[in-house]
Amino acid sequence: MSTTWLPCGIYHQNYAQDHAWWQTKFIKGKMILLFIILSVVIPLFADSYLLSVCNQVGYTILGALGVQLLIGFCGQITLGHAAFIAVGAYTSTLLILEFPWPQIMVDYGIAYPFSIIIAAVVAGIWSVLFGLPSARVKGFYLILTTMAAQFITVDFIITQYVSQIGGRGQAFSLPPGTIKVGPWVIDSDLKVYFMMLVLVIFCVIIMVNLLRSRVGRAWVAIRDNDISAEVMGINVVKYKLLAFFVAGFIGGIAGAFWISNLAAISPEHFPWFWSLWLVGVILIGGVGSIYGAIFGSIFMVVVMEVLQFAVMPLADIYPKLLMDFLFIKEAVFGLSICMFMMFEPNGLAYRWWQVKNYFNLWPFSY
Amino acid sequence: MELFLMTITTGIMVGGIYALVALGWVLIYKCSGVLNLAMGEMTLIGAYVSLSFYSMGIPFLLALLFSLIIGLVLGILTERIFLDKLIGEPVLTVIMVTVGLSFFFKGMVELIWGTDTRVFTPPVFSIEPIHIGPVIVGQAYLWSFVAAIILLIIFVCFFKYTRWGLAMQATADDEMAALSIGVSARFVYAAAWAIAFMAAGVGGTLLGNINGLNISVGYLGLLVLPAVVLGGLNSVPGAIVGGITIGILQNLAGAYLDKYFPGGIKEIAPFAFMAIFLLFKPHGLWGWERIERV
Repeated sequence: MSTTWLPCGIYHQNYAQDHAWWQTKFIKGKMILLFIILSVVIPLFADSYLLSVCNQVGYTILGALGVQLLIGFCGQITLGHAAFIAVGAYTSTLLILEFPWPQIMVDYGIAYPFSIIIAAVVAGIWSVLFGLPSARVKGFYLILTTMAAQFITVDFIITQYVSQIGGRGQAFSLPPGTIKVGPWVIDSDLKVYFMMLVLVIFCVIIMVNLLRSRVGRAWVAIRDNDISAEVMGINVVKYKLLAFFVAGFIGGIAGAFWISNLAAISPEHFPWFWSLWLVGVILIGGVGSIYGAIFGSIFMVVVMEVLQFAVMPLADIYPKLLMDFLFIKEAVFGLSICMFMMFEPNGLAYRWWQVKNYFNLWPFSY
Repeated sequence: MELFLMTITTGIMVGGIYALVALGWVLIYKCSGVLNLAMGEMTLIGAYVSLSFYSMGIPFLLALLFSLIIGLVLGILTERIFLDKLIGEPVLTVIMVTVGLSFFFKGMVELIWGTDTRVFTPPVFSIEPIHIGPVIVGQAYLWSFVAAIILLIIFVCFFKYTRWGLAMQATADDEMAALSIGVSARFVYAAAWAIAFMAAGVGGTLLGNINGLNISVGYLGLLVLPAVVLGGLNSVPGAIVGGITIGILQNLAGAYLDKYFPGGIKEIAPFAFMAIFLLFKPHGLWGWERIERV
């Protein structure tokens, strides 16, 4: 999927224009409008439920961006991304709970933002550790090593050891008021929403800027053919590990962000299911585009909410259905991945691209 | 020393079952090039089907036979409905379809049979352990091992001596050549899935006999992945050796490392071992080393 075609009569005259953020004034206006809708209209009019759905979408986007980077742009298939999200979440939680922050940092609310950065870096390094085999293996074998990352990190290290720190038992609960950004205590869906917005925009900017630089071109070259990439003088191992680092970094941000929405975190929040879910999200959204991660997240979260609404009335008749909802969710998720792969292998982003092209060239497509 | 011998024996016995399931996996990969991540759920389905028949009062062997037949039908259906349309698609697409299938199967199994642990009642194998020299082995382990070995031999004979088996070998070796001499590739794919489903079902039934049956048996089915990686993805002897090695390794880790790393070391050890093993032998023991050119 290349970039969108320009409207009739507009031509690029230099490379800088080709790589510009906003290709035309119309796109710029559109994005500003989107930003206004996201930052003003939704918080003003949405109720708490809608905001919590938005937060769910934001968390999924943050998780899926890293997966999109690894699978869609660097070609390194990963089935263990939840491990890195978990590392981020636990690092941030432990830093908040155990680290002796100077009182002034806590008062001014710097502690939590600071812990997000540290969590992101730790998760990135952890991700590089499990990305190391990618220097030697690829394809299916790499999938297995990332699966190993999931089982080793979440089911073993975090469940058995990290959870023991401080003697709190399995779940780490965060006392209210500990999560504080600047003067604001993050305690309502609205505040979580704004934090989500800032982080998602920040991560998307990181991704887009990386992808239009030398680094991103190297990643895409490795994805398309790693041997020819090496022949062209790209340090394949270095760039693969860099991709793992950035993916882990964004995953760490996702995890550290999500603790603000959870009263307590436990290893059950980061199961293998969640790793697969994220891969499913980018497949449904479209592999190899940032739109893909965003559309896929919106689609999956919304479909699951709709499914819940559909099941609830039936639950009055069959009470067993309520208990079985988790299983229905799994089955629907599996089936929808299969269907998308079979009938819509390019994902939702491809359809969006077609729609945009149609209207860019509308009414005459020449 | 006695502990060591016993661990090894149990490991080999369980490993026999893994080898059986791993054989099914390798078969699908060899014949159709599909990397199947739904193997764990396939073991679950087979196990639950035979358990249902068994609790209806049907003799165990007959129940196993029924589950084989249902496995056959389901295998062919799965191949025809889902995988048939994906021939020639990228690897990730096919893998993710199998992941989707695994979710679908798992959800269905949980919907139909619930998540409680169920056991084969009355027990199929008597709980009286057997003494072989200094080693004590549970009967369930022993008979499972025997059954797995018998099935392995049947499968290997099937590939070596029957017309269908030879057709499958030919397709695995060179699809184009096989097509040109009149082997139907679609038939071979369906047969591979059917056999894999049946092997997984038997493996699941045997595993369910040892520890009782719940969703975690599906996780045991996932252990075939380290096994096939160890042996090399497209090697049948590799799958058998890999399965038995993983069985031994798992039990050794459970016996000796549990003191130092309490908790789930038994489940993690095969995966950790696999990750390290891949660093040194990226193609497994007998896997084909694909030479890539630009």
